[in-house]
Amino acid sequence: MKALEVRNISKMFPGNLANDNISFSVEKGEIFAIVGENGAGKSTLMNIIYGIYTPTAGEIYVNEQKARIRSAEDAIQLHMGMVHQEFMLIPRFTVAQNVVVGDEPRKGIFFDYTRAVREVKELSDKVSMTVDATAITGDLPVGIQQRVEILKVLRRGAEILIFDEPTAVLTPEETQDLFVTMRKLQSQGKTILFISHKLKEVMDIADRIAVLRRGKVQGIVNKKDTNEEELARMMVGRNVVLEIPRVEASVGPVAFSCHDLRVKNVRGMETVRDVSFDVRGGEIVGIAGVQGNGQDELVNAMIGFTRPTSGSMELNGKSMRLVTTAELRRQGMSYITEDRARRGLVMPYTVRDNSVMGQHLNAPFSRGLRMDYDKIAEFAEGKVKEYDIRPGDVTDTAGSLSGGNQQKLILARELSLPHNFLIASQPTRGLDVGATEFVYRKLLEEKKSGKAILLISLELSEILGLSDRILVMFEGHIVGETTPDKTTEEALGLLMLGVGVDRKVVS
Amino acid sequence: MSENSGTNKFLRIFGIDSQGRKRRDPLNVWVPLISIALALVVGMIVIAVSGRNPFRAYALLFGDSGLIPGGSAWPREFAELLIKSAMYIATGLAIALAFKGGLFNIGAEGQFWVGAIVATFFGYWSPVAGAFGNMATALGSMAWIAQLLHGAICIILGMLAGGAWAAFAGFLYVKRGVNIVIGTIMLNWIAWFLITNWLVTGPMTPPTQTFTSGTYYVADTAKLFRIMMPTRLNTSIILVLLAAYATWFLLYKTTIGYEIRAIGHTANIGMEAPRAQGINVNRRIVQMMFFSGCLAAMGGCFFILGMQYQFPNTATMGYGWTGIGVALIGQSEPIGVVLAGLFIGALRTGATSMQVANIPKTFSNIIEGLAVGFIALQVAVRYYLVKFLQRRRAHADPPAEQEAAA
Repeated sequence: MKALEVRNISKMFPGNLANDNISFSVEKGEIFAIVGENGAGKSTLMNIIYGIYTPTAGEIYVNEQKARIRSAEDAIQLHMGMVHQEFMLIPRFTVAQNVVVGDEPRKGIFFDYTRAVREVKELSDKVSMTVDATAITGDLPVGIQQRVEILKVLRRGAEILIFDEPTAVLTPEETQDLFVTMRKLQSQGKTILFISHKLKEVMDIADRIAVLRRGKVQGIVNKKDTNEEELARMMVGRNVVLEIPRVEASVGPVAFSCHDLRVKNVRGMETVRDVSFDVRGGEIVGIAGVQGNGQDELVNAMIGFTRPTSGSMELNGKSMRLVTTAELRRQGMSYITEDRARRGLVMPYTVRDNSVMGQHLNAPFSRGLRMDYDKIAEFAEGKVKEYDIRPGDVTDTAGSLSGGNQQKLILARELSLPHNFLIASQPTRGLDVGATEFVYRKLLEEKKSGKAILLISLELSEILGLSDRILVMFEGHIVGETTPDKTTEEALGLLMLGVGVDRKVVS
Repeated sequence: MSENSGTNKFLRIFGIDSQGRKRRDPLNVWVPLISIALALVVGMIVIAVSGRNPFRAYALLFGDSGLIPGGSAWPREFAELLIKSAMYIATGLAIALAFKGGLFNIGAEGQFWVGAIVATFFGYWSPVAGAFGNMATALGSMAWIAQLLHGAICIILGMLAGGAWAAFAGFLYVKRGVNIVIGTIMLNWIAWFLITNWLVTGPMTPPTQTFTSGTYYVADTAKLFRIMMPTRLNTSIILVLLAAYATWFLLYKTTIGYEIRAIGHTANIGMEAPRAQGINVNRRIVQMMFFSGCLAAMGGCFFILGMQYQFPNTATMGYGWTGIGVALIGQSEPIGVVLAGLFIGALRTGATSMQVANIPKTFSNIIEGLAVGFIALQVAVRYYLVKFLQRRRAHADPPAEQEAAA
């Protein structure tokens, strides 16, 4: 039986056909993956199925009945549930409270918390998803929080579950746990739609795969009849080399160094402890680690957002421990952030205005107090061509670009600043294959031109493929240093989890 | 739409185009116009419900607002319209500028009065006033030079004081995390009571007068030039238009404006793109508050040097509050603020005449409030407007829609 079928769905946004005549059907009990680059129309499609957007044309059938889905409530009525990429959880609530919120068990007019805890326990046992119903949600690791989200959806009676890029926020181990959960749900007859752009994962979990490109279905394939390369080709419309070429460059003098650096996070906990390393010109130093082991705080200290509590930091021989971001940038630091919306770009600003932020006080972009928007436009036009930023109109807002093009814009800006030290913090997070490859190429070009690069990443393949030296960060310490030819993903993975690390060093 | 056509260039000068938006959004113009129209319609209903003739009320309101030339009373009404509008535009610009930087400077009221009292002081304080008086006598027929200088000094010092008052709230915000709305509103009351309950009834009152008579009168040299005799129309409207242009220039042509707008766009919690690019956000916020305070204080200077010539004991608050409405109706764009300020000025000028027809003055306030209310509902107004336009487009081009639906 077909649990879900979409027929000829189209969605028109002003000036953009996000979904173009999409049709597919999902059998009951199937794990059906939808893959595509950023901006291929996956999220739009899911939002249509879930009733958040109204399609311009087309029909949806649930359990072979024509369905009228005008809101998320309608979708829930039809036993559909969405596990969002950004969790819709209240951090200060307990797990049980979060799971039942919106449909709470009551005793008279009061909330029956005891029953809520019991219900959640029963539910999590039934689907064998272990989670402590009384824990405070905000304290749990991301992977467990996602389970809470799944439980919430199941409790509302979901038979068709939509996972919108669920692995984007997970560590590799958490991803494996999620897949175990998904298979369990499948064995209980649930139907799963899995949205992703990570081909390896899709090949791991899905039964069938639909590939979306520019709003159109490029093809629907059985997992056993295909492979990653074919999917990649369908996604981007050309052959993609996922192999990272080795680039040799002569190693220059030390550009950045830090010694015994200690940094506290916003809650006053010391999350970077006695970190020392240096980065030389012409080399890429990779910092591997599971998210939340002090990388964010280290970066914050390096870009002048937080003051280290002790230790020293030098950029090109000058102490940089107590200076502003502006001063660091003047001294030759560039910074590529993973958080494009928060830190990377001013989203309502145009491509043009974003392209010079940070060097807008320099000639020729301004003279004295006066901005020269014509010169800036000229510069931006050049960068748009050089970096192939699409759609290519410098008067579009940054917010209207796809994730990959936003990252290209950030690269264009950061690499055109006068710099000799580049911090690349998860530079390919959330990017599709094409854009990822582009970022790799640019980083290697940087290395070749003698720049010092610090690469912080959660993707081991990226760390191994790009780095000349690898530092492993665990609970705020650098617990190991190695080179790509002396290690493997498995060995790094163990170090990242603190296996084999002398506990005395850590505590 | 050609970028270089004359109209567009004109609009661009006055900031309709906020630097490089590709398709200038016509909704930005339509939303305030529709809000005002809705306010007028609802206002009519309110007047009608109260048993009065709305057409007569509007005829009187707008007939005597100074907007429509003609009649012997018109020059005076026109002068009143511009004098009032100049002050509302000044406070409106102050609030609009802060809005652009992502802050709600609700303290324009206090900054207005700080500007007013400082202008008063330097208007009458004998070392200054005396010097300019002597200068005027010495210059004879060129006495206008002394008047120009004295007036300018009073306005500049008043603006600096108002700017400092606002910058202090900005300083508390960036250094101590004091919410800007709370900080400025507190400073409003501090300013207001310091001025009215102490300065105006105490040290700045002439000893021979009773405490109800307000401060000393400013010297003649401190008064703004009159530009349309016999009305009391003065140069304030010209100065405020220059200020509007300066605000536009600051926002859209300077590095400071570029940074202020970037900060404003990212002022939501946690957005830190400007900071990550090396912009000194805290310094810019204090500067922006300073500029904002200067603009509000300018209105206060007009109040004293153009109208009252002293700080009267009867002054009532409201210029800064009105500025909030002006900034909202004007969509925080300098040209919009100018137009909105004229609109509010017209309502206030015409309100008195309505009383003749036994229609309370407050009805003009109701219209004002409704206009701001509809602006506050602009998301809804936009939504229905877009829907309406879409339906019209679908109507004009039915085959595609039907084909898609089939």
